[in-house]
Amino acid sequence: MSFGAWLELIASGVITGSIYALVALGLNLQYGLMRILNIAHGEFLMLGAFVTWVATTALGWSPLAMIPLSFALTMALGLVIHRLWFKRLTDTSPNVDVFEARALMVSFGLMFLVQNFASWVWGGELRGYDYLTDPVAIGSAQFAANKLLVLALSLVFAAALIVLLRTTLYGKGVRALMQSPTGAQLVGINTKTLHPLMFGIGLGLSGVAGCLLSMTYTIAPAMGEPYTVTALIVITLGGFGSMGGALAGGLLLGVVEAIGMHYTSPSLKSLLSYSVFIAVLLLRPNGLFHRKR
Amino acid sequence: MSQDARSPGISRRRATQVLAAGAAALSVPMLSLAQGQPVRVGYAMARTGPWTGGAQVSQEPNYILWAEQQNAAGGLNVGGTRRRIELISSDDRSDIETCVRTYEKLMGSDKVDLILPPWGSNANFAVAPLANRFQYPFLAPTALSRRLVEMKLPYFFLMLQQPAPMTNALVDMLKAQGVKSLAVIYVDDLFGLENYAALKVALQGSGINIVEDKSYPGGVKDLSPVLRSIKDKNPDAFVGFTYPPDTILASRQSKEIGFNPRFFYASVGTAFQLYRNVMKEGAEGVLGMGSWNQKTSPGAKAYFDAHTKRFEGKEPDRWASGAAWAALEILTAAVGRHGLDRKAIRDYVAGNEHNTILGKIRFNGSENVGTPGSVSQWQKGEFEVVWPRAIATAPLLAPKPAWV
Repeated sequence: MSFGAWLELIASGVITGSIYALVALGLNLQYGLMRILNIAHGEFLMLGAFVTWVATTALGWSPLAMIPLSFALTMALGLVIHRLWFKRLTDTSPNVDVFEARALMVSFGLMFLVQNFASWVWGGELRGYDYLTDPVAIGSAQFAANKLLVLALSLVFAAALIVLLRTTLYGKGVRALMQSPTGAQLVGINTKTLHPLMFGIGLGLSGVAGCLLSMTYTIAPAMGEPYTVTALIVITLGGFGSMGGALAGGLLLGVVEAIGMHYTSPSLKSLLSYSVFIAVLLLRPNGLFHRKR
Repeated sequence: MSQDARSPGISRRRATQVLAAGAAALSVPMLSLAQGQPVRVGYAMARTGPWTGGAQVSQEPNYILWAEQQNAAGGLNVGGTRRRIELISSDDRSDIETCVRTYEKLMGSDKVDLILPPWGSNANFAVAPLANRFQYPFLAPTALSRRLVEMKLPYFFLMLQQPAPMTNALVDMLKAQGVKSLAVIYVDDLFGLENYAALKVALQGSGINIVEDKSYPGGVKDLSPVLRSIKDKNPDAFVGFTYPPDTILASRQSKEIGFNPRFFYASVGTAFQLYRNVMKEGAEGVLGMGSWNQKTSPGAKAYFDAHTKRFEGKEPDRWASGAAWAALEILTAAVGRHGLDRKAIRDYVAGNEHNTILGKIRFNGSENVGTPGSVSQWQKGEFEVVWPRAIATAPLLAPKPAWV
């Protein structure tokens, strides 16, 4: 295979992987910080995609303008959802394990609710629009412009989140909470503001991922679920609660899938993803990038 | 484009309101027209889940339009008496189990007068034997499988052309155009496998070589690794036995990597309005599974216009929608002649040649042998039938222009 072909293959894996990473980061934030294994996470991706599609086709807005908007919208929705259900669960659950189980159930319900809401409002048909589909040549390889945009923006958002968590006081609080919830509360970190905020940001990232996906793929109310499953694989790869791990894990999974599909057959894609998943669970159950403390 | 943004959920509800108001206003004259009990017509349809995309484009809109048109005319002609149609339907959630249970209930305990089929080969495969056992005539517009024909169910009829005639038509056309090499991808389920097998049979002795064949799973998100390796082999023709999301994915990614063979063929979804909306001018020259458009017959034009008007700009697809409407035409004629005697309806469907918007249809066993296998092509915003020449609505455009 020529150098250009290799470049194309790996880059297409990285592009898919960057979306995986973005979705996984949001889920990791929710699970790593609050123990909410949000099965409905992918549904907010779907909402972000539909909102973008409506704005683009009905109102004639640029999908780019919808990126901050879908972030804000899904984040606001996240705040409301947290206030309505997860806050109440936190207050009434006797311990973290019970909370985790209950939150899982609630998020299952939420998944059906959001998916059916979308079917009811927009119908179940496949939708899509045309945006920046012209190819751009980079050396001997070429990519659709919208794919490159997706790659750039998802990396920007992922990096922004990681930098936010590393450098700000809020970020410090979040990291402290991940290390030791009780300890963090003892030193005065306020979970009452941090939890809803991080839950909201998690969903916001999912919304952005949806917005980006709608530029390159067709969309339908059932599109979210597979991304939730992939995100679960990615955060297992990267380690629960590890943001850098989720980013690297997402990109890695994308590349493994692309190379695997090239040498075998796309039909074996799930086999590849799950083999990686099982291998990591067996050999490095704390994630690929876990450092022994 | 704005019509696409409108929600079918809301428009359906609004339509129900309008209909209800209309029915109330007309109730006095209606009484004299529509005598007695309504005709209860039951079906299950995907309104949520992965089948929805196909079901809500090719199938359910036709059922709704049919019932409304018949009711507006005073009701369905049941052996000479007009009776109002009452549709009894529910969401099968794209789940075979739910689908089978619903039909069991409709036929076994609700004992509806007639049933209409669900969407897709898999669901029809599961429900057809049941309809046969309860002896309900079953004219399936969206089932494509040799195995369904081979089950030899007397009450079961397949409207769509099956894999063998479809792929034969494609190969005939490619051969006539001097194609020597071909690459194929197919979705790894009943639909893809049967079509791929039929294509291989059709290619025997045609002088066309398969240079690459790969299967892929439904819901695939990236086909570019496969398309790039196909591009390296530079085949004359590309054939994809694909479902709507993958049809669009394969088209977009071919454009992305600059893979532009002389003939580019994809399957389910090429005949959808969505394809034109998403691919824009890039659709020009793309081939696919299609069998009719407005130019096929005056009836087809009337149907197209009524559909587009009723669903606010949503066009029927140029393949299965036509078959769905033709099935309803046949059923309407059968009930007009034989009332609700299901055995008599079955015999009428099986034993006669029917005039439909798709032309003459007749059945050999379960299979529609009246409609020939066909190939369609996007030309200037319309999906034209280009092969065989006898039913073509436009000449073939070859080779395919570059993607734009």
